[in-house]
Amino acid sequence: MGITRRQFLKWSGVSAMGAVVFNGCTTPEQELQVESPVNMPEDLVNGIDNWYATICRQEPEACGIIVRVVEGRAKKIEGNPDYPINRGKHSVRSEAGVQALYHPDRLSGPIYRDSRNDEFREISLEEAHNLVLNKLNVLNSEGQNDRALLITQPLRGHLAAIASEFSSGFGGRHMAFEALDKVALRKSLGRVFGQSRLPKFDIEHSTYLISFGADFLSSWVSPTNHSRAYGEFRQGHAQRGVHVQVDPRFSMSAANADEWLPVKPGSEGILAMSMIYVIIKDGLGDVAAADNLTGGQGHQALEIFSNNSAGVIEATGIDGARIEKIAHDFANSHHPLAIGGGSAGASANGSFNLDAIYSLNVLVNNLNKEGGVIFNPSPPISVLDNDSVSGAGMPSSYQDWKNISQPRVVMIRGANPIHGLPSSAGFSNILDNSEFIISYSSFMDETAEKADLIIPESNYLEDWGDDVPEPGPGYQVIGIQQPVVGRFHQGTVNFGDELIYYSRFLGLALDANLGLTEGSGFKELVEGSIRELWSKNSGSVRSSDFDAFRQGVLQRGGWWDVESGAKIEEMSSNLLDTSWPDVSFVGTGEYNLIPFLSNSLGDGNLAHLPWLQAAPDPLTSVVWNTWVEINSKKAEELDIIQGDILTVESPAGSLEAPAYIHPGVPPWVISMPIGQGHVSFGRYAENVGVNTISLLSEVEDKGSGSLAWAANKVSISKTGRHIDISKFEGNVPAFEVDEQRIIKIAPPESHDHKEHH
Amino acid sequence: MLKKLIILFTVLGGLAAGGLVTLLLVLFVARAWWSTPFEVGPFGGSPEQPIEYPHTIHAGSGVLLLSDGSPKLDGDGNELHGLGLDCTFCHRNVDKGESAGVPPVEQCIYCHKVINSDEDLPEVALLIKAWENKSPVVWERIHRLPDHVRFVHEAHIRYFTEPGNTMPSGEQAIVAANVCAVCHGDVGNMEEVKQVRSLKMGDCVDCHRDNGAPTDCTTCHY
Amino acid sequence: MATETINHKWGMVIDIDRCTGCQACVVACQAENNIPLNTEDRFRQRRAIEWIRVERYWEGEFPNIKARFIPILCQHCENAPCEPVCPVYATYHNNQGMNVQVYNRCVGTRYCANNCSYQVRFFNFWEPVWPESLKNQLNPDVTVRSRGIMEKCTFNIQRLRKAERVIEGQRGERITDENLKEGNFLPACVQACPTDTLIFGDWNDPSSKISNLKEKHFVDGGRGYKLLGDLGTQPNVIYLKKVDINAEHKVDAHA
Repeated sequence: MGITRRQFLKWSGVSAMGAVVFNGCTTPEQELQVESPVNMPEDLVNGIDNWYATICRQEPEACGIIVRVVEGRAKKIEGNPDYPINRGKHSVRSEAGVQALYHPDRLSGPIYRDSRNDEFREISLEEAHNLVLNKLNVLNSEGQNDRALLITQPLRGHLAAIASEFSSGFGGRHMAFEALDKVALRKSLGRVFGQSRLPKFDIEHSTYLISFGADFLSSWVSPTNHSRAYGEFRQGHAQRGVHVQVDPRFSMSAANADEWLPVKPGSEGILAMSMIYVIIKDGLGDVAAADNLTGGQGHQALEIFSNNSAGVIEATGIDGARIEKIAHDFANSHHPLAIGGGSAGASANGSFNLDAIYSLNVLVNNLNKEGGVIFNPSPPISVLDNDSVSGAGMPSSYQDWKNISQPRVVMIRGANPIHGLPSSAGFSNILDNSEFIISYSSFMDETAEKADLIIPESNYLEDWGDDVPEPGPGYQVIGIQQPVVGRFHQGTVNFGDELIYYSRFLGLALDANLGLTEGSGFKELVEGSIRELWSKNSGSVRSSDFDAFRQGVLQRGGWWDVESGAKIEEMSSNLLDTSWPDVSFVGTGEYNLIPFLSNSLGDGNLAHLPWLQAAPDPLTSVVWNTWVEINSKKAEELDIIQGDILTVESPAGSLEAPAYIHPGVPPWVISMPIGQGHVSFGRYAENVGVNTISLLSEVEDKGSGSLAWAANKVSISKTGRHIDISKFEGNVPAFEVDEQRIIKIAPPESHDHKEHH
Repeated sequence: MLKKLIILFTVLGGLAAGGLVTLLLVLFVARAWWSTPFEVGPFGGSPEQPIEYPHTIHAGSGVLLLSDGSPKLDGDGNELHGLGLDCTFCHRNVDKGESAGVPPVEQCIYCHKVINSDEDLPEVALLIKAWENKSPVVWERIHRLPDHVRFVHEAHIRYFTEPGNTMPSGEQAIVAANVCAVCHGDVGNMEEVKQVRSLKMGDCVDCHRDNGAPTDCTTCHY
Repeated sequence: MATETINHKWGMVIDIDRCTGCQACVVACQAENNIPLNTEDRFRQRRAIEWIRVERYWEGEFPNIKARFIPILCQHCENAPCEPVCPVYATYHNNQGMNVQVYNRCVGTRYCANNCSYQVRFFNFWEPVWPESLKNQLNPDVTVRSRGIMEKCTFNIQRLRKAERVIEGQRGERITDENLKEGNFLPACVQACPTDTLIFGDWNDPSSKISNLKEKHFVDGGRGYKLLGDLGTQPNVIYLKKVDINAEHKVDAHA
């Protein structure tokens, strides 16, 4: 027929149909080419992958990770098998770090605008530095140094030291932002255990674990470490551990528990007190501890918490016999462990609840014992000691944010308080009234959007750092973060280096206090800590040669010393507060609102990553949305079906979100995930779902000033609208199987297919 | 009557639809015939490269020829021979990983810093310019496998250099560089490198069969 | 140097009693295998691709409600219903106990997905798209499947092929549980799983953990079972059931 290829292409190009059918058959141009790079470092060989150890900064847990790097690009993140916190495993959240690195909406360099109504324009780093230093100099010359405010996420390692040196040297204020702050938890742990660091909860060796409101498998404190331990707790030992979850919501941890006690919100502490009462009354706990807790008065001092009293039963919704059984099982178990947090610490009486819960550990005397509460020693490098439980390293509480004095210059790094604080904190006004706001965010999030100047930070996979994991594994650990790939955007900076640069310019004593020499920066500080570890000649890496030691530490992702346990520090009086707590709520609605941190999106700081948006919620399997969990019976009563858009109203505001009909949530509770509802945070987060935090009213835990985010009452109403809720459940069609005649029953041994022939 | 009309139209419609489907199918197959599996080659394609790199001078050991076919002579009138560099001198990764790899510009400069760096050779000048500008050299591919084929150089070189295994030519390969010619031909003596084997699946499978290598689909396709 | 390889038969044991439903396996799989971004629309249209998924089942009613999590991936059946229906032999059982999908043979009839009892085959209804910068993350060892192709769990065959090449070919050693783990050759889901719910290994290696678990749990009173075992598909993935202490108590009460 003599049709040439060129003619043929022309011919098929004529019809529009051809274009559709054959789209995808051609080879993209770049695949026909191969690039000779200019340089090639020794460890960067075409087609060969390398795994580098570093630290994950996607979540506060900061797991040790190894990153697969092929030709200078990070491909895959996996857990570092050596790292004591996560021992080779990782969470859904750390996995997506590579998407943060290569996110299409990452800011590539400094941007600035003359007034907040203007558009941002690109400027050079030098111009950006001049702007920052000018503003700080103005404060300096006017003697208003205290009106400089540095906001970060809770920092650890050398970055924490630099931030505190910088702010105290300048005379400004440093605040650490934690969405749904855990100040109540930290303070309570400090009070009950007399420690200045978060302890490790030895779930792995525990035989009876009771968790009050702490969703420790999903989002609470150190979830990867907990999950790692939980697998062993279940099937790793001769005796399978028993897990009881006391939770006002059917959380992921409750779903995994052997027994779930759906207590009334806020009454977790009452239940714990009642357990203490039973244990002391029946003489099961440690006698000395019981005396210490009750001031020698015994169970009589706790009579109002008697498991059979009408007060306890009414407040908790759990009957006396059940409390007694749990108390007995707990106290009689070999390695009992009680943990509490989350919603238990987020009611008006949160501190009371947590004190009572953690006192259970004191009562059964599991402190510093296998399967109990293991204390953490101070880090081997004194400058990295960051007392987050009772001292300087403590994040700011809701109360602190509410009572903030108006700053003139605000510097914000790694925190998004506009999204994470309820509007009642008034933080938006504070920012609007500040003269100059500098953000170091890699993304244009809600807080960065208010900034005048954004100097985007490099990704953690591109930079140096160190970390003292919190909580530690019961011994000293220093994690080392090293750059595994070159900077993807050349205009990005290291935050530590920025503060060092400002300090030098302003003549602060940061260099001298941290032992930095001229011309050195954050990387040298990290190197300095490696050198200090080397001089100790102990722990996981030892070498007489510093370079070999350094190499060893970088290869393993850090240094640790399993011999370096902590002692129980002198405990002051552990007297229990035996007065009946005031469990109060804000709002007049019918339902308790129990928000919860999303399993994949955290507090919303990971909402910009498409893998995490598409990771189904473990219980509801909902993706790319915020949903309202409502009890299935209740929904039937109210004639609400899956996907009906509901208005949830609290005194602080109202939101609209689709209903998820949930058979597990108690009929008196409405629960909603936190993390969505970003108005600005890259293409994958924007306008997805609603921000549940905006429903939270002005109510705090009396004992600590923490936001009492579980103390809201809400009402719901139907809007009459309906959507097809996006979820994975039902993705695979389910169908009823008709009853069939059984042809043959195969015994399990028939796994070997040979037998079938 | 109406019924008959409906039937008639249904039949006609069916035929038209069937015809359209057949036509599209024919188009699809025809298109595939002409355009796959290689946009380049399979035989004879020697696209223009950004730098005319002569494999003959570097990797060949024969007499170098001028464009008119006469031997290239040095100042004393002696015939010039190729350097006879080992393939792995530049394609260093070939016995380590999946891809053979092209050398980085830096590696070319190791030698060309000294050799011919001051002479008026346009191609070397291009190379030095790339080095000075820190710009990568983008070569046109000559051998290319489709995305759904995984070919690992290392395993093939390992097999042929193992004692007891002979190459299709019947020879025993001693070093990695002996193996390259099995698929790539005598590149050292090609003025312009071109593909010499079809490298289509049949070609791969034949060789695998001859050498007792696995022919399971997932050997190469995953 | 050994060029003849031991005939592996890859398989997996899934201990439901350890599974917490955390989704780490799901995202690990997407990261390793170049799975297209699952947008909201794809979920709505029930066309989201998850080679491994965690199914959640409700048991009971409030307040005695239980949620059960079961990770489900291709069961790599010895007697796979998907295989005989493929008109172009794009899916078949290879000699290593794996049910494989050959992308370049697949013409997209979707018969296999319809015939699969476990619903673990996914069809690419669209050409996969990533923003330019996210393409930097794509795994060069895995084919990007274009529109019209069926895809499914491969047990990360790219890692296993590499394991064979490195451990057996280059080092001349046997593949064991330990050196699979050491070299990062385990499937991404198994590597990620924080609770060690997923255990991967070689059925033909009597010392492997999965062989031991099978021996231990496929006895009377053992926890082993096969998913939809009565269909006779002979999966190479076996499950260990959840321990329900409350259920045991009930049995005691009746006795």
